[in-house]
Amino acid sequence: MSPEFVLYLVINTVVVLAIAPLFISLIKKVKAWTQGRRGPPLFQTYFMLAKLVKKEVIYSPHSSWIMRVTPIVNIAAILVAALFVPLVFVPEPVGGIGNIILLLYLLALAKFFMALAGLDAGSSFGGMGSSREMSISAIIEPTTIIVFAALVFVFKTLNIFEMFTLSAASGTLSTPTLILIGISLFIILIVETSRIPVDNPETHLELTMIHEGMILEQSGSNLALMELSAAVKLTLLMALLINLIIPFGLSTTLSAAGLLLALVLFLVKGTVLAGVIGLFESSMAKMRFFRLPSLFAMAFFFSTLIIIIEVFS
Amino acid sequence: MIKELLLLGLALLLAGVAIPLVTAGADRKLARTVSLACTVAASALLAILSLAALLSGEVISWTAYQPIAGFSLTLVIDRLAAFFILIIAAVSGCVAIYATGYVEHLHGGSRRNLLCACANLFILSMVLVIASGTTLAFFLFWELMAASSFFLVMYEYDDPETKKAGIFYFVMTQLSTLFVILGIIILYGQTGTFAFTHVLAPSSPFLTAAFLCLFLGFSIKAGIIPFHKWLPYAHPASPSPVSALMSGVMLKIAIYGLIRFLLYVFTPDLWWGVLILAAGTASAVLGIIYALKEHDLKAMLAYSSIENVGIIFVGIGLSVIFTSYSLPALATLSLLGALFHSLNHALFKSLLFLTAGSVVHATHTRDIEHMGGLVHRMPYTSVLFFIGAVAIAALPPLNGFASEVLIFISFFSSVAVANPLFKVLIFICLALFALTSALSAACFVKAFGSVFLALPRSKESADAREVPLPMLAGPALLAGACVVIGLLALQLFTLAGYSVPIPDMLMIGVLLLAMIALTYGVLYITASRNVRISGTWGCGMPSQQPLTEYSGHGFSEPIDIIFSTIYRTKIRNERTFFDAAGCIFQEGNAEIRLLKVFEEYLYLPVARVSCRAAKSVSRIHNGCLDTYLLYVFVTVLVIIAWLGWFA
Repeated sequence: MSPEFVLYLVINTVVVLAIAPLFISLIKKVKAWTQGRRGPPLFQTYFMLAKLVKKEVIYSPHSSWIMRVTPIVNIAAILVAALFVPLVFVPEPVGGIGNIILLLYLLALAKFFMALAGLDAGSSFGGMGSSREMSISAIIEPTTIIVFAALVFVFKTLNIFEMFTLSAASGTLSTPTLILIGISLFIILIVETSRIPVDNPETHLELTMIHEGMILEQSGSNLALMELSAAVKLTLLMALLINLIIPFGLSTTLSAAGLLLALVLFLVKGTVLAGVIGLFESSMAKMRFFRLPSLFAMAFFFSTLIIIIEVFS
Repeated sequence: MIKELLLLGLALLLAGVAIPLVTAGADRKLARTVSLACTVAASALLAILSLAALLSGEVISWTAYQPIAGFSLTLVIDRLAAFFILIIAAVSGCVAIYATGYVEHLHGGSRRNLLCACANLFILSMVLVIASGTTLAFFLFWELMAASSFFLVMYEYDDPETKKAGIFYFVMTQLSTLFVILGIIILYGQTGTFAFTHVLAPSSPFLTAAFLCLFLGFSIKAGIIPFHKWLPYAHPASPSPVSALMSGVMLKIAIYGLIRFLLYVFTPDLWWGVLILAAGTASAVLGIIYALKEHDLKAMLAYSSIENVGIIFVGIGLSVIFTSYSLPALATLSLLGALFHSLNHALFKSLLFLTAGSVVHATHTRDIEHMGGLVHRMPYTSVLFFIGAVAIAALPPLNGFASEVLIFISFFSSVAVANPLFKVLIFICLALFALTSALSAACFVKAFGSVFLALPRSKESADAREVPLPMLAGPALLAGACVVIGLLALQLFTLAGYSVPIPDMLMIGVLLLAMIALTYGVLYITASRNVRISGTWGCGMPSQQPLTEYSGHGFSEPIDIIFSTIYRTKIRNERTFFDAAGCIFQEGNAEIRLLKVFEEYLYLPVARVSCRAAKSVSRIHNGCLDTYLLYVFVTVLVIIAWLGWFA
């Protein structure tokens, strides 16, 4: 492992941890504006995390070691997954870091623990959340894998780092296929980060909640970790989308000026994407749970279309 | 050296058969322990010899018995055989350690001696199937394996459910044997030899028929859908170590047979690969969908075996397709994926069956709806089961992921296949494969959650106790192997001389640990350390009841509804009302019925036809000696006439 790569590990983790809560606040702000409210301050998510860390942790008497290890394993898996998606600087990949399948399965590892923690306390809310989350993640999986296969098809590599390098080298806006892939990736982002129309991140009503139901029993610093990991997951999926479709400014060599420029550009692009997500969520109603499979089927056929276009062109 | 080790290992296994049989009359613990100790020692020897053969690449051949030219019992160990012997050895050793504790808790008195003897015979026959150098020996030991496993399934023969399962298993396994012998005979007709040699003749209908027969035979044994029904019957009925052996190892013997014949005998056509890929994909998806619906813990694991065998078939099918497109590197890659998944499945499935056996032993039920809360009562078993669940859900950094990623990479590399239609077909299979692996994660969240977490849902579950040490040691070895093989996957492939494009899991493991340490460190410094234990939030209910928690049925309900067309759930709902507007309910009845598709549309019709045929044949058996003498006389006359005519 070269010193450059170690530096990359540090930079990427620090950047993703620093800006992830900001994007959560931004989306909330945009949604508030569309509803005619002023919305929380931009740094509200940071304040909330700081407050939660200082609070005591409450465990149910029926909960086990699963409940205790889940927050830490969850954030660790998501943070390792975040290393697979360079935000501002793309080094040479080392030892399979950046493998697109491994990225998917690291996210699945986090989800596995979270779903078990939902069942651990014996609350019916947690169980409901886990059951729905695992069902949704199962039926979106074919779409996700086909989109990833299309990416592998277009870039002829399994590694996200190499995809970004190729994408950055080929200029700003890329082929029509890539735009189609971008739309599919956006749907995956909405599903994976539990947003409207799949789930509602705002409520704790049992009728709508999936992700919030699973973490209902979490408290104090554990809840802070769960919230932070959800934010990091959102940021890494946004970065995947941004750096594939509009890689402009992404730094491939290590220099302070380049990094700073890339960071500023990423913030701008991320802000725009967060705005789009906020508007998208505001323009829709939450779907009934059992109508979701037809939405996913649509996304699936859509992404299969990309493959078919690519194969026959 | 390898040959001597093999003979010593086989002799030890024979001793393991003989010792409990000699003392069968007396119900002695010592005889069983010695017999199982023989199994452990033999497994250790076999593991050493197979590792030596794997790493050196040396081929050992030894003719044990040759009555006439052309027929011989020859044992051959090459790298492929050594790999599968390693699987047998690893699983049987751990299962035997577990069984030393388990067997003593079984009912049945001196019948337990027979169980140990049969288990040793079963392991011996599996090793001999793998080591067979000729197709004839392969068939003989295959039949020995089928017979000994039947006796193992029938251990609790006085239970009506076991009787049904045993008969079902017997019929299916004999059907498998029938197809295997048919395939071998057709092959002999084409080549004139029983040796495993490449058929040089061009593709002919006979060769295709031979392949199809062997494919059917191996599919039945491996539990490929639609020949899978014996697994969910036989596994719950048999004692847990036997389920572990059958699911972990015996299914792999069928896989070995398929690979052996595909690589060393046939030159496969493209459509053979497509057939294997399609069968594998169908088994994988349907297997896990049925597993999600199952609430018998061991039947659920059996369905999950069907899924995993499907995954292995997918790897083999891809390999055949790549071979016929002359892409040898990719063919090797997907075959390595299939082989590696065979090893990994053997390890984590036997781990799961053994720990499930401990759970069943502690709670006296197989229904997961009557379990729950065992994580506090059986802490070690719960950790072991958890490792198995993470491994089988193909989550990094354990071994299930390492092999599935190989198959994923082969799928993604199919870009190299020239034919665009095949590309689309392969991508559809890829989508279904991804669905399978996500559903298996859901399935094992449900399994672990319902069995171990939350509150106990029955008195037996509340009174459960941790199992004794041997029943933890065996699974612990398997769990350790799952972790080590998962982390060192890349290094192991390099050691075996293959360069595969899988991520370095050791590094990922280190990174995960580093992130865990970092988070823990930051929290240790900054976070509040106050911890309070307080009741689960229940919307103001005064006390938490097990009845209100999410059950296994509830957990899989969304998937039930989404895949209701596959389950063929029939919901009937009839209501009558007092008034015309349908407001005041009078009476009604409702029914939810699961259609057993394969049983009702495939197995039962076939069974009915064969019953009718048997009835018409039985008419000529009138029980009178004179009639039988007449039959013999007529037969002799016909043969003489036939010989005179043609010879």
